Amino acid sequence: MGKIQFINEFDEKEEFTLDKRIKLLKKRKLEQTQEKIDMEGGLDEDDYGRVVQPDDFVFECVPTNDNGSYYGYEGWRTNYCKLLDEHPLYCDPLDAFVGRGFFFMTRRKGDIWNPDMPYTELKKAFDRYNIVCGIGSDGHFTPDLRMGFEMGWGGILEKLKKYQKINSGEEHRLFYESEIMVVEHIIKFLHRISGEIAELADEERNPYLKQNLKDMAVCNERMAENPPETMRECIQWMCWFSFFSRLYNRGPSGGQLDELLRPFYEHDIEAGIIDDELAKFYIACLFLNDTRYYQLAGPDDNGNDMASHISYLILEAADWINIACNLTVRVHDNMNEDFFKKSVGYLFKNKNAWPRFSGDNSLVDGFMRLGYDKNLARHRLAAGCSWMSIPGMEYTLNDLVKINVAKVFEVAYYEMMESGEEPSTELLWEYFEKHLKVAVSTTAEGILFHLHNQDKNEPELICNLLSQGPVEMGADVTKSAKYFNMCMDGAGIGTVADSFAACEQRIEKEHKITWEALTRQMELNWNDIDGEYIRQMMLHSERYCGGETLGDKWAVRISKLFSRLVREQVPVIRAQDPSYPEIQFIPGWFSWSNTLEFGSHVRATPNGRRNGEAINHGANPTYGFRKDGAVTAMANSIASIQPFYGNCAPVQLELDPGIADTPEGVEKMVAMIRTILETGNTLLNINIIDKHKVLEAHKDPSKFPDLVVRVTGFTAYFSMLSPEFRQLVVDRILAVNGEDAELPDIVPSTK
Amino acid sequence: MEGLITEIERFALSDGPGIRTAVFFKGCNMQCRWCHNPETIKAGKDLLYYASKCIGCYKCVYACPSKAQKRINNVHIYYPNICVKCGKCAALCYAGAMALCGKKYTVDDVMREIVQDKAYYVSSGGGVTLTGGEVLCQPDFVKELTDACHKENISVGIETNLNFPWESIKSVIDAVDLVMCDIKLIDSDEHKKWTGVGNEAILENVRRIAQTGKPFIVRTPLIPGATDSAENIGGIAKFLADVDESGTMMYYELLNFNPLGATKYAALSRKNEFADAKPLPKTRVRELKSIAEATGVKTKTE
Repeated sequence: MGKIQFINEFDEKEEFTLDKRIKLLKKRKLEQTQEKIDMEGGLDEDDYGRVVQPDDFVFECVPTNDNGSYYGYEGWRTNYCKLLDEHPLYCDPLDAFVGRGFFFMTRRKGDIWNPDMPYTELKKAFDRYNIVCGIGSDGHFTPDLRMGFEMGWGGILEKLKKYQKINSGEEHRLFYESEIMVVEHIIKFLHRISGEIAELADEERNPYLKQNLKDMAVCNERMAENPPETMRECIQWMCWFSFFSRLYNRGPSGGQLDELLRPFYEHDIEAGIIDDELAKFYIACLFLNDTRYYQLAGPDDNGNDMASHISYLILEAADWINIACNLTVRVHDNMNEDFFKKSVGYLFKNKNAWPRFSGDNSLVDGFMRLGYDKNLARHRLAAGCSWMSIPGMEYTLNDLVKINVAKVFEVAYYEMMESGEEPSTELLWEYFEKHLKVAVSTTAEGILFHLHNQDKNEPELICNLLSQGPVEMGADVTKSAKYFNMCMDGAGIGTVADSFAACEQRIEKEHKITWEALTRQMELNWNDIDGEYIRQMMLHSERYCGGETLGDKWAVRISKLFSRLVREQVPVIRAQDPSYPEIQFIPGWFSWSNTLEFGSHVRATPNGRRNGEAINHGANPTYGFRKDGAVTAMANSIASIQPFYGNCAPVQLELDPGIADTPEGVEKMVAMIRTILETGNTLLNINIIDKHKVLEAHKDPSKFPDLVVRVTGFTAYFSMLSPEFRQLVVDRILAVNGEDAELPDIVPSTK
Repeated sequence: MEGLITEIERFALSDGPGIRTAVFFKGCNMQCRWCHNPETIKAGKDLLYYASKCIGCYKCVYACPSKAQKRINNVHIYYPNICVKCGKCAALCYAGAMALCGKKYTVDDVMREIVQDKAYYVSSGGGVTLTGGEVLCQPDFVKELTDACHKENISVGIETNLNFPWESIKSVIDAVDLVMCDIKLIDSDEHKKWTGVGNEAILENVRRIAQTGKPFIVRTPLIPGATDSAENIGGIAKFLADVDESGTMMYYELLNFNPLGATKYAALSRKNEFADAKPLPKTRVRELKSIAEATGVKTKTE
């Protein structure tokens, strides 16, 4: 298990084409996915391009803490450099690049937070409201790869040494010593790797593959210190940056891929050393190397579309390899229509959940409300599951901070019922606001605590190098980023909105049940006499995403409250702590794959949800929100709850492949996607899945090893998900195929 | 004014151009033996019973004034023959096992749903499709609803069987923006055999619509053993090639048999003559398309 070098797999006389190599590489990729499932079990997260580590490679960390883990500059640099020295080379002679890894250090080190810096008081509130506080979390911002392209590792080292002399104070010593040590080890690693590839080239018997390995060795030797000049060197540099950052702490996102590659592509075309087929091959190999998030197209500084010839090549390359590709097309007013339609066509052709689409207008207008200018807002790229980031300029904790508002609701509900006051939805709202305010302010304090202490816990030794600020100021990005736009997501808006709506409708408007009787049923998890009947009654109240329903009304109210409370933290924290004078807190709605975990902490809720059941996903509705499952109704409602400050409340769609199997159908989807994003939405993830196929895959995942689904913001092989998560995806797909997908109430078309 | 409606379905992609909202009217003046939406045939309320959704609460037993709902040995039994379709059981059945089909809507009620997707109609060239059932059985409501849509600049199409005297439907045809109609069988005797009525009025109305210059679409459902012969499809296509002199027919569409209506026959306790029928193989649909196209008529399949 864990084979990582594939020398002399083919006969001397075997001939190859680029297409043949892609097919063989994809076959290997699927085999490796199965190997990961066999070795590691279900994983409810991105694929990352990782492979299973070889049996004979064991990394033993050097602890710096009594708990067996390591922290701070010294702990991380020591272990990272040791790992670089020991890490074996993964090399496939069919591939254009090397740079595959096995794991992230953060997953192999024990407790992620340094126990010497406790936050006991904050933790009480985090536990009470089931808050994912972000303390000790890493990555989730975007380094600027262009800085790396300009300097190469040698240039980065020079820059560090230059600023080390300028910032010679003791407070900067650990930072520079650590960063220099890391970069020197990276350079040493790359020299070693290129030597090993050259040795493998000598060993390889097939002349075609031997030549590829020789070219690879030369490329890697140059990339040890020099900046890339050709497209092959540029992508090899990107693959290694992915490797170095993933190995460290899972790492960041990619950036504007078409614009990153364009100068190198144009250079190579002019030099006559590349054609479009080879360019596509290189890009396909980049996707094979890692599933990093990239944006395509979008407005440049003058509002013109950045889609260029290479943007098309990127789509064609993704189509060629057709694996989990996290590509986002940015939809805007001056969109290249042809490119947009082509991207939609690939979504339906391959049914592999790529690309997804972001809405420029809402993102830009929202971000500008924070006081930033339009150009900066346009540079904030699709970068992760739900989030945007300005390459090299922001520190954000994006997608890492989440308040489970369903738990906040539960606390509020039971406090109201125990208060002795006359219960009502308005009184419940007062309690909810009171507790949400505490949850939000505690979360803000937690973020501040993280910013102050994260460098003593886990400095961003890799991403610092491609960010504006850290090297120049001699401090970790948590203290030196140009902008601190801190994410604060809510999760569970659908569950809470439906709960308020169910109480208003059934208790206050229809008088079908009393607060006391409902509470009793909830406490008994609907297991009392008539429990299931009452549960059904509450469940079928007017839901969020039903279309101007009570649920929709409450969802808007909840979102406005959440946004107000989050934004109110800005002056409070700025006044409290002058270290971050321009800090922002930005509200969003996203649960990531925490829906199950969040739900497990919440007892039965008035919307008919049982104890421990999942909360709603992101900004999406709870299942069965409308009989017809109308996408338009859902998208309209999600648009109405957008916080509108530049962060997202994504729309997650599950569509049947049959709706776009004709050119006319694709045209309808183009119009649908455009309208969803023009009516206020920020981000649109789409799964194209045949419900029968997914049901069959759920029973026996091994039958569909190449089935890719967009789980939340990320894509994953369906077979790699845990059974619980596969069930969630299945439920979502059935939900938008009507209340009961097996029993459609209306058959469209002719009579 | 009120109309009897069974469903309002948003994001309808199979009921005309673009993204649409489909409003399903209740009541039909034909009796197509394969009808996919049998609950829309009767011009009055229907009660559908989905046994698989029953949670065994027995609220319906106590609510039913005609004793059509019974609890026997702790099993729920529904007697559709003595049910008066008052809907008292359905009003209490949140699980959806008993579902009343057919609700009176005002034009404002329907418009509240329709206008919510206006942006999608505009971007996709879509609009509203009034379908059923047979929409022209409620012509005044259709006209009023069409007027209301036009005030909102929303395009309106109707799906109709056209089985009416021309004078009684002319004003509705004039009012709407698109007519989608069925010619199920070209032979009138066969038409009568399968639908209960001859096709003379239908063919005449298609001729007249073609003369008005109004955009229209003609469809034929491909029902195994009933409408799927080469002679029938070729005959309909030839008829269309002859009548569409002004070229206002957008296309002729062949719709493959859809077996999904079967569950509703069971829910209505009604016999489904096509319970064992299956959609035609794709190769057969392509053959029939070729036959239609040979007459020069632009033909689409789903």
